[in-house]
Amino acid sequence: MSSDLKKDWKKIARANGLSIPDAALERIAQSLDALETDFRPLVRALPPETEPAVSFRFNSTLAPSHEREGVVEDGE
Amino acid sequence: MTLLESAAAMRRREISSAELTTAALQRIERLNPSTNAVQTVMADAARERAKQADEELARGEGRGPLHGIPIAVKDLFCTKGVRTTGGSKLFEDRVPDYDATVVERLRAGGAVLVGKTGMHELAYGITSSNPHFGAIRNPWDRDRIPGGSSGGSGAAVAAGMVAMAMGSDTGGSIRIPAAYCGVVGLKPSYGRVSRYGAMPLGFSLDHMGPLARSVRDAGAVLNVIAGFDPRDDTSSRRPVENYVPDIEPSIRGLRIGLPENFYFERLDPDVDAAVRAALHSAESYGAEIVPLRVPDISAINTVARVILLAEASALLEPYVDRRDQIGPDVLALLDQGRLLPATDYINAQRLRRAMQREFAGLWSRVDCLFTPTTPITAPRIGETTVTLAGEDEDVRLATTRLVRAINPLGLPAVSIPCGADRRGLPIGLQIVGRPFAEALILRVAQALVPAEVPVPRL
Repeated sequence: MSSDLKKDWKKIARANGLSIPDAALERIAQSLDALETDFRPLVRALPPETEPAVSFRFNSTLAPSHEREGVVEDGE
Repeated sequence: MTLLESAAAMRRREISSAELTTAALQRIERLNPSTNAVQTVMADAARERAKQADEELARGEGRGPLHGIPIAVKDLFCTKGVRTTGGSKLFEDRVPDYDATVVERLRAGGAVLVGKTGMHELAYGITSSNPHFGAIRNPWDRDRIPGGSSGGSGAAVAAGMVAMAMGSDTGGSIRIPAAYCGVVGLKPSYGRVSRYGAMPLGFSLDHMGPLARSVRDAGAVLNVIAGFDPRDDTSSRRPVENYVPDIEPSIRGLRIGLPENFYFERLDPDVDAAVRAALHSAESYGAEIVPLRVPDISAINTVARVILLAEASALLEPYVDRRDQIGPDVLALLDQGRLLPATDYINAQRLRRAMQREFAGLWSRVDCLFTPTTPITAPRIGETTVTLAGEDEDVRLATTRLVRAINPLGLPAVSIPCGADRRGLPIGLQIVGRPFAEALILRVAQALVPAEVPVPRL
């Protein structure tokens, strides 16, 4: 990751109203920077048609019983 | 004695559930002070249940192989009327009014619950050095960690307190303690075992499974706990099989994938040698070893970390401001997760989908993969860095490096002991299968593991 893209975790925490002490932010900044370095290129290479591996499935106990019958799994 | 051997002895009336349970409780009493494996001992309830089990057997009302067998479950499985902490001070007084599905099914199968095993705080780590309930110690060397997060389950089984203890696995938390403690640890496919009533860490990554002293025992437990549960939306409706392999199964003709990239990089030489020896054994039994390149596991590990950071921090958002009640390592991870944008989580799930598809292509070429479970054997308590191939590596990252990717892929995997290092510490072999191929990986495991795993002298 080039230095101009480096995130300022303290500012992000403040902007989001997170009550994370500065000392704690300093301790985790290195881990977060490393994760950014590994993760960002993967995201950039993602084809736009790729959908997330989470889906709403109407087979929960919240569904009426007749809607739960015959639920077909997505095979994952 | 293994679980299935105890069950057979009970059926022959050579031993009673009361005797087995008393022996388990005595062993816990003797060894828990030095291992801290069991956090809550349920002595009275266990004795009562064992008495009932013996009475049922006398009436010819056996409930199957788990009937009357003393077992333990990790302290994140809800147990009606019994404290369930998740290894956390936040939940130290929590007493659920219901049983997790896994507990319900184990009880229905006749098992006698003797205790709740200790764990890494909130299941969010691999050392099981719990700041609130004390460090859990490895029975093979009590100066070393048992692995985690199901460290108490691994230690309890290795120490012979129980023949089986349930664990959970979000990024290796069944397989790591299995490897470090020298026992069998099975992480079933996502959806195979209900998560209902197990305190979550990463909703889409959490898996429940047994740690046991034999492969057949792990299969017998899966027979009882597997299957659809309407209370878990991700539970699979796929039919359950018999997961107990033959005593001497054939693996002739099976294609075992030997990864040429990633999995054999930066290993302790003893680990490398032991896993390769297991491969040679499999080959000598007629399996075909297929060298192959696997997809980018490092990238899948990165995606898994993003998903877990986001899911765990979302889950624990109501508690994160109680900072004095959370250990520093867990707090650091929770803080990291809070700083990730929602777009990162969504993109990690998109990458996960792409990686699942890419990985699925392997299964036309091989039936299972062999890898080391961990690149090292159990580190010392408090050790934070290991040196492998001249490179320093964080103990947590090294320990999860070879197991984490299997969770976002949802694949079944079992860790079995495959030897010991120069200090006598156990080494784990990981066998990974295609979705819902639990029976196959257990068959391969059974071919390689002695009837009962070696145990430390205690």
